[in-house]
Amino acid sequence: MPKLTVNGENREVKASPDTPLLYVLRGELDVMTPKFGCGLAQCGACSVLVDGEEVRACITPISALEGKEVTTVDGLPARWSKQKGLAPNPDRLHPVQQAWVDEQVPQCGICQFGMMIKVTELLEHNPKPSDADIKAALTTSGPSPHLCRCASYAAILDGAHRAAKLMAGEA
Amino acid sequence: MTQVMETPDQFDIHGASLSRRGFIGAGGVLLVMLGLPAGRALAQSNSLDAAKPASWIEIHADSTVTMRTGKCDFGQSSIYTAYRQIVAEELGMSVEAITTVIAGDTDRTPDGGGTFGLLRNASVNMRKAAAYTREAVLELAAQRFGVPRSALTITKGVISGGGKSATYGELISGQTLRLTIPVEGSLTDFRGLVVTGNPPMKSPKDYTEVGKPIPNPIIAPKVSGKTQWVGDVKLPGMLHARVIHPATLGSTLVTPGRLDAAQFPGAKLVQVGNLLAVVSPDEWQAVMAAQAVAAETKWSDWAALPTSEKLAEHLRTKVDWSIVPPTKGATKGDTQTPAAKRHSGAYFMPFLKHAPIGPSVSLADVRPDGSVMVHTHTQNAQFLRAAIARMLSTGEDKVVIRTYPGPGHFGRSNGGNAGSEDEAVLLSRALGVPVRVQWMRHDDMGWSTQSSAMVADLAIGLGPDGRMLTYQATHSGPPMQDDRPIGALLAGLPTISAPTPDNPSPIHTAKMGIADRWIYGAVPHVSEVGRGTYQIGERESPLKVGLRDHSMRTPIQFQQNFPREVAISEAAMLAGKDALQFRIDHTEDPRVRAVLERLREESGWDNRASPAAKAKGAKVLRGRGVSMMLRDNGYWACAAFIAVTFATGEVKVERMVLVADPGIVVNPLQLKRQAQAGCLMGISEALHEEVSFDTGAVTSLDWSTYPILTAAQMPDLKVVIAPYAGADVYGQGSESANALAAPAMAGAFLDATGRPARRIPLRPDYVKAMLA
Repeated sequence: MPKLTVNGENREVKASPDTPLLYVLRGELDVMTPKFGCGLAQCGACSVLVDGEEVRACITPISALEGKEVTTVDGLPARWSKQKGLAPNPDRLHPVQQAWVDEQVPQCGICQFGMMIKVTELLEHNPKPSDADIKAALTTSGPSPHLCRCASYAAILDGAHRAAKLMAGEA
Repeated sequence: MTQVMETPDQFDIHGASLSRRGFIGAGGVLLVMLGLPAGRALAQSNSLDAAKPASWIEIHADSTVTMRTGKCDFGQSSIYTAYRQIVAEELGMSVEAITTVIAGDTDRTPDGGGTFGLLRNASVNMRKAAAYTREAVLELAAQRFGVPRSALTITKGVISGGGKSATYGELISGQTLRLTIPVEGSLTDFRGLVVTGNPPMKSPKDYTEVGKPIPNPIIAPKVSGKTQWVGDVKLPGMLHARVIHPATLGSTLVTPGRLDAAQFPGAKLVQVGNLLAVVSPDEWQAVMAAQAVAAETKWSDWAALPTSEKLAEHLRTKVDWSIVPPTKGATKGDTQTPAAKRHSGAYFMPFLKHAPIGPSVSLADVRPDGSVMVHTHTQNAQFLRAAIARMLSTGEDKVVIRTYPGPGHFGRSNGGNAGSEDEAVLLSRALGVPVRVQWMRHDDMGWSTQSSAMVADLAIGLGPDGRMLTYQATHSGPPMQDDRPIGALLAGLPTISAPTPDNPSPIHTAKMGIADRWIYGAVPHVSEVGRGTYQIGERESPLKVGLRDHSMRTPIQFQQNFPREVAISEAAMLAGKDALQFRIDHTEDPRVRAVLERLREESGWDNRASPAAKAKGAKVLRGRGVSMMLRDNGYWACAAFIAVTFATGEVKVERMVLVADPGIVVNPLQLKRQAQAGCLMGISEALHEEVSFDTGAVTSLDWSTYPILTAAQMPDLKVVIAPYAGADVYGQGSESANALAAPAMAGAFLDATGRPARRIPLRPDYVKAMLA
């Protein structure tokens, strides 16, 4: 049986190894924050972190994930606690999530799970990104741009800058 | 259990009726009930039982309030922010007192009508219900305090007078109170119920809650992963379905492909007429099996669409526009008056797609007793209930629609609904278990409705002074209100009619109205005409499908404002005048003038005639353009600053400035976010979007064939909210922001290049043709 590590938990799954991660997360493991958008790695709604790098869950078979750490938006608060050595607190969001609330980023919000994953990846590598860095991360750094039909990109930029400040303890 | 004593006292409250049904030991509640005509409530008893607490507003003994609205949220948050502010304002409470908002569900909300015009007309029900409620509570206070109602005041939920005071909760505690308010209309009608009568409303000058930048309370649960989206719903024993849609928009099923049971154990093939689907307990298996079956399924040939390449020509030369009676817009003087100079142009707006990031998904459970539960993300739950009941030839009382958050689709992208609901119902009925239908990206792009294409012929005559003397416009296009669910059409089951010239439903006519309000009152001779037709390919399609159309953000006005505003920029250039000043010179409305003057200031607009001077040999040409719109009593103006690379035809938007006078601003924080996003989506449409189709089917099937704006293409964006001081109506959010980008960018293109851009999108191949 394939084994996966999702948000810090080791999970055994029944799905065949060629099943895309998205269907396993949502169907079998009840991890619902990665959303189905296109199934073609064209939009980013299903993005997760695999060992800290953003990948598209809709096209990534679980066979490629043996021994790797999958993090979804559900797992971001624990990831932050672990990185900072903070005591677990169920009310504390990851700074990126908190920034998304503070800046009122989402319109409908369906793409924002992927956006938050991408911005988390960015900020873990580049703690003080410029506008251009954020735009590049969201547009050219992955297999496709991260798309938002509501076009909440201005709010996403505000959110990313706020998250950077929160992570640096400046806000 | 609490004993309710049937000893009602009854009081008249401005035409509403307050009854005290009895005293109870603890708790207490004031329910705002509907004064439905006799028999109506009973007929729909399972969806709306007047004996259940399905009121618009419910006030509890702890002074908290539950608010129920039939409207849903599509991301703009109005029902969770602006609606709470409006209701709190009329109640005289703080917005935080409204702790619960129940949206959309047909068995839990009384309000019908679709989620559109949220602050225009749809907020009036909630506002009036709140005003009636406040008056009823004042009556209770007057009785308790022994003072006339006129001696009472309300501040932050505390009613005071005659030296006494009490909270809302204290006034109702220990009682079961029912306020029955007058309504008219029908729950499942397109517009739903309307609260009637004229309870006294609070004056805008006394507002304390409206105008606050309150945050959207549903963002935190969304970003923390706590929200259940429609796609996250799991029903016990449900099967996952993938629909195999026909090869073209007119193909019927010849032979279904074979489902290989060895390869896909547990999967089943289901056929209801031309509706073909694969179901499986395992979602990925359903996807793979549907793909395999689709590859072998035979559909009849059909080719009756003009193709997107020849669409404009088709609309201009092949459509008989005399079948549908024309509609007149602004009409005055004689547009044949001779002019010194004349601009004329032919404009074209392509089909656009709603294109939600998440394709349609819904679930249905048709039970053995014939009752139906649908889980969906619909924009018009009550209307969907009527459509499902009609499809099944059953009573509306058998159908319950539950609504959930879902992807924004900015209009009704499958008939009246999100899409896939009717297919889920038919599959659940056929299989006897709950079914979840998830459209794939290509299903949503290929089988949802589109925003209609339109052509326009404009002529502007200039007087010897360079002012507009005549303005003549003819707007022609297919209708944009097809409310027929696609699954019902495929299965050959009953639906309401497609838009036709003689459709008795005023919103389902094939007529083309003039949606773009005329704001250039100083032009002496004006004629605007709308010409309608049937939907393209619909009558020729054996499925009666073809290119079905439905409203999308700023419907019709989007398509009519573009040619008007671009033509006016062209006329200004012909007159040798500045495009912004030219608009000011032709308006008599001080709010139009104020918004344009503010735009000039905020954008650093350089006052000069177009085209912009260009350096010799310049490879990149820059220009600025302006556009203006009056919609829902809101005045919006936009300035676009663009760069055109001559060799490649690439258009880059460098800066956008938007100025809005939307009337009363209910929530400046949410309005700013809505306007920013709306404007950027407008840039997306203007730069990239056009539905491509061949002779049978839509060929824009994914994000590579229907590209939208990316983060990297976002310009510097400035939104200025500048409400007119005397405004007395609420401002709508993002629609005008969305529509104004395209004409401002086309105006900037004209300024940069001296060549008109009379169509969108401004993508390289079209731009090169414009520059050739």
